[in-house]
Amino acid sequence: MKFEVRDLSYSFGDKKVLSNISFEAADGEFLGLMGPNGSGKTTLLRCMTNYLETPEGRILINGEPLQSLMPSELARTFAVVPQSSSTDFVFSAYDIVMMGRIPHMASRIAGHRKSDVEIVRAAMEKTDTLRFASRPFFALSGGERQRVVIARAIAQQPQGLLLDEPTVYLDINGQFEIMDLIRKLNREGGISVVAVLHDVNLAARYCDRIALLSQGHLEAIGEPKDVLTPEIIRGVYGIDVVIRKDPFTNAVYVMPHSTVAIAHTHGRRVHLLCGGGTGGPVMKALLDGGFGVSAGVLNVLDSDFQNAEDLHITTVAEAPFAPIGDSSHAENLKLISSSSAVIVSPFPVGPGNLKNLEAAKTAVNSDKTVFILPPEPGKGIDFVGGKADATIKELIRSGAIQVDGIEDLLRRLSRGGGG
Amino acid sequence: MGSKRTSSSVKNVWTVLGVVLTAIIAFSSGYLVATATQNEAVGFSVVDDYGRTVTLDGIPDRIVSVAPTPTEILYSIGAGSLLVGVDNYSDYPEEAKLLTKVGDAFELNTEVIIALKPDLVICGDLVPTQLIQLGETQGIPYIILADRTVEAVLKTIRLAGIITGHVDEADQLAANLSERIDALTAKTLADGVSKPKVLVETWSWGTLISTFGPGSYGDDVIALAGGANIAKYAANEYPMVESEFVIAQDPDVVVYTMSSTTKDAIIARPGWGNVTAVQLDHIYPIEDDLISRYGMRLIDGLEQLAAMIHPELFP
Amino acid sequence: MGTEYQRIIRRRILILSALPFVLFATAIIGTFIGPSGPIGPGIKTDTGEIQRISIGDAIDAIFNGHGNWPFDYHAIFWTQRIPRVLLAVLVGAGLACAGTAMQAVFRNPMADPFIVGVSSGASVGAVAATLTGLAAYAVVGTFLTPLLAFCSALITVFVVYRLGTVKGKVYVDTLLLSGVAMAAFLGAIVSALIYFARQEFHRIIFWLLGSLSMQSWTADAILVVTVGIGVLVIFLYSRDLNALLLGEETAHNLGTDPEALKTIMLIVAAIMTSAAVAFTGVIGFIGLIIPHMMRIVVGADHRILVPASTLAGAIFLVWADAIARTVISPNTLPVGIVTAMCGGPFFLYLLRRSRVEGEK
Repeated sequence: MKFEVRDLSYSFGDKKVLSNISFEAADGEFLGLMGPNGSGKTTLLRCMTNYLETPEGRILINGEPLQSLMPSELARTFAVVPQSSSTDFVFSAYDIVMMGRIPHMASRIAGHRKSDVEIVRAAMEKTDTLRFASRPFFALSGGERQRVVIARAIAQQPQGLLLDEPTVYLDINGQFEIMDLIRKLNREGGISVVAVLHDVNLAARYCDRIALLSQGHLEAIGEPKDVLTPEIIRGVYGIDVVIRKDPFTNAVYVMPHSTVAIAHTHGRRVHLLCGGGTGGPVMKALLDGGFGVSAGVLNVLDSDFQNAEDLHITTVAEAPFAPIGDSSHAENLKLISSSSAVIVSPFPVGPGNLKNLEAAKTAVNSDKTVFILPPEPGKGIDFVGGKADATIKELIRSGAIQVDGIEDLLRRLSRGGGG
Repeated sequence: MGSKRTSSSVKNVWTVLGVVLTAIIAFSSGYLVATATQNEAVGFSVVDDYGRTVTLDGIPDRIVSVAPTPTEILYSIGAGSLLVGVDNYSDYPEEAKLLTKVGDAFELNTEVIIALKPDLVICGDLVPTQLIQLGETQGIPYIILADRTVEAVLKTIRLAGIITGHVDEADQLAANLSERIDALTAKTLADGVSKPKVLVETWSWGTLISTFGPGSYGDDVIALAGGANIAKYAANEYPMVESEFVIAQDPDVVVYTMSSTTKDAIIARPGWGNVTAVQLDHIYPIEDDLISRYGMRLIDGLEQLAAMIHPELFP
Repeated sequence: MGTEYQRIIRRRILILSALPFVLFATAIIGTFIGPSGPIGPGIKTDTGEIQRISIGDAIDAIFNGHGNWPFDYHAIFWTQRIPRVLLAVLVGAGLACAGTAMQAVFRNPMADPFIVGVSSGASVGAVAATLTGLAAYAVVGTFLTPLLAFCSALITVFVVYRLGTVKGKVYVDTLLLSGVAMAAFLGAIVSALIYFARQEFHRIIFWLLGSLSMQSWTADAILVVTVGIGVLVIFLYSRDLNALLLGEETAHNLGTDPEALKTIMLIVAAIMTSAAVAFTGVIGFIGLIIPHMMRIVVGADHRILVPASTLAGAIFLVWADAIARTVISPNTLPVGIVTAMCGGPFFLYLLRRSRVEGEK
């Protein structure tokens, strides 16, 4: 199924929602439509399904103008999966899927043929929904309902699938389930996919190409790595991001980068090496004490990352489940060199973040003041077979100052420790 | 959890019942209090057609009538001059139309009535609730004249005579009417005289026929006229019966009120073709008032009806 | 697909196929029910004896004319019973079918066929007709009330439709509210008319409460055409109605045309209901309750639900009218009272049941 959109504009009354959008969705492609709220992506999709009937511009499907096709013809060409489906009326899952055969029915009074039943059964098998075929649709969970709706879409035997934020009401389990299913249909079934997606990383992971909309304009279209750049994202979403590569899928991974001006009440910024939640209280105390704070390297899933975000602290971040990479480490060192002191909180050290202690070593060796906060009595922080404890001992030997606690730290910092 | 819910819904049921019961008691006691209130004045007492004892200060000289029949009765005994106000439907005799209008049984204009300063209000068998209020707040007594038989009409006329002080005229009129009735029934109720089946139709709608049932004066009139009312065993006084019922009863005579329909319409009714009255062309119109107002004109109606039912007795 | 599911479907189709037979039997029995028998309380003649024709005699009279029977049962059967039962069948079928369609169009289980203003509109016409006083007279009278009721009903529906439609798109929520507003407004007019003509009120009370007493072969003929076409059209759109229940956008994406569907259903239901109401007045509850009952019994699939509701509505009204004609014999109750008395408690039961299900 090939979509061509040429100079498409659409207005609700005098409010222009889409302006001169032109792109093509190639046959067999998995195209993502993205954009912030209000960018017009759902409107664009609705123009493509002909639900909104009078846009300016042209939409061609397989070379034919969209408006020239009968509703049933359109329904045989592509199937639509909405954000969510529900009905108060008692239809079984099977009934819902069977409705996908409506565009294929010969006449108003024709009944189901054996072929219809077989197609429905196959569609439900493919989506693993056969087991609740006779259960009422409204009694299923959100993920199960979406799978049933996808089965219905498959039953339409379409050349393409149009989806409107299909995972927005699903939990993380359901999200990947659905997206994997759609990708399977795309790759194995040759069904073209045009999906409005809200989750940047989901889109990056699954789409061949992404079309990025902003305020009704098509800002960029291309492969994820070309479209999801910090500059484009800043322009469209207004946030600063850092682009990483997902260590498992090699897909582009977007992480928000908190940029807040660093307060220099003392005229000084200290850098905090932390993790595992140990940095939170330290950050707060330092900020309250009038110091600027930066932190790193923190894994995005680490609670200290969230703490830093909440406190608007510049952080060097690393992708989830990933060990500290070279670029993060380098950034960390950069921040250390421009800070007036380095603080090491008693974070649990594993092979992934051992590099943070190395960064502390580098700091000590370059004559930076390094403070080390002790762990809670009885709590071990070494998960690298003794290497962490050894490194810390080495740090102290090399000049790092072991303080008694946060108050002690603040006193020493205010007395002017650092340089 | 289940029992908790049950006990709270049971509590709800009792609450509702309690409220309803209280309401019923409140209304009943209000009614009882109202009817217990009586005029303290000395005068004379009469018992009206509903069995109510009403005490009057003296012969009233300002009377308001809120139904057409009491109006007619008053005029017929020469007491029309006592009337100061009548309802919208009092149109007989002609003089009645000139009196001040006070509304009708559904909607009385109590202000007008009070302004007329009546000594007495007379109503028919539809008793407006406002009269009860007038009695309490203004002390205006009311009397109900409502009869169910031809005989009762005579009694009512006499009662009207007592109330208005026109006792002689009333008695005279009653005696005249009584004579006419006796003369009539001597013929119609004599031994060996047949009782043709009669339908008296007051109005119709679709296949429904409205007629006189048991306990209504219409039923009594038919009986006195020597007919057998086919609706004698209907469910109430003014039943709506299906055409099926009429066809099954097969009346010999059909009498209809002039305003309600026409003879052709009756003949044209589906299924009525083989009804005896239709076959023998015994379908007669009667003036509405003669059968719907139970004043002296009811006797006129009775005579007309008797002539229709027994043409052989009244050539 | 689960044999349990197949079993459910088979059972539903079985129920549906039994309904025409039940209707036929009901209709036959219904024509035998009445004050004069053979099934009924009998008629007390002036002598006090109870007259009730026996079944054998009844059958004989039906086919062989008046004959020796004490009354013209032949005429009663052919001019009273049959047109009446036929009217009950047609009106019950039409109201139930229209109600089913309206519940789908409005996606609202509280919708009934009168929702777009048919009842209030028809009432204005009927009461106005009574006011003219012409209703009493033969030819004019018999058809004046239904004619005025029919016309005012259609005009009202048209106005409500226009209010709820913007640039060719039917907005169901606006339509609903417009219907409610019109009902309130016209209801006030009807009340005013009744008040000013209250001495004539008794003439129209049977119509207002809903009654089959304005039966005639002519009414039956008119309704055979309107209800027949209406039911057929609604049935043909069953699949589309199923899709519509999932939402208009989904219905569109499944290849149907929701706008055309809504308009067609509204027009057809309005004509069918207005024609029925013109003769019988507003008989409530059938259009609302029967589709619900049948949805519980045969499911929400309109290909089964529409014919099932239609037949069930007919069956229900025949019985309701039989009760109305015999319970206070020889008097007749307006049938609307009987349907309301059945419908009210049943509705409460349904409500309670759905609430219990919901809490499970």
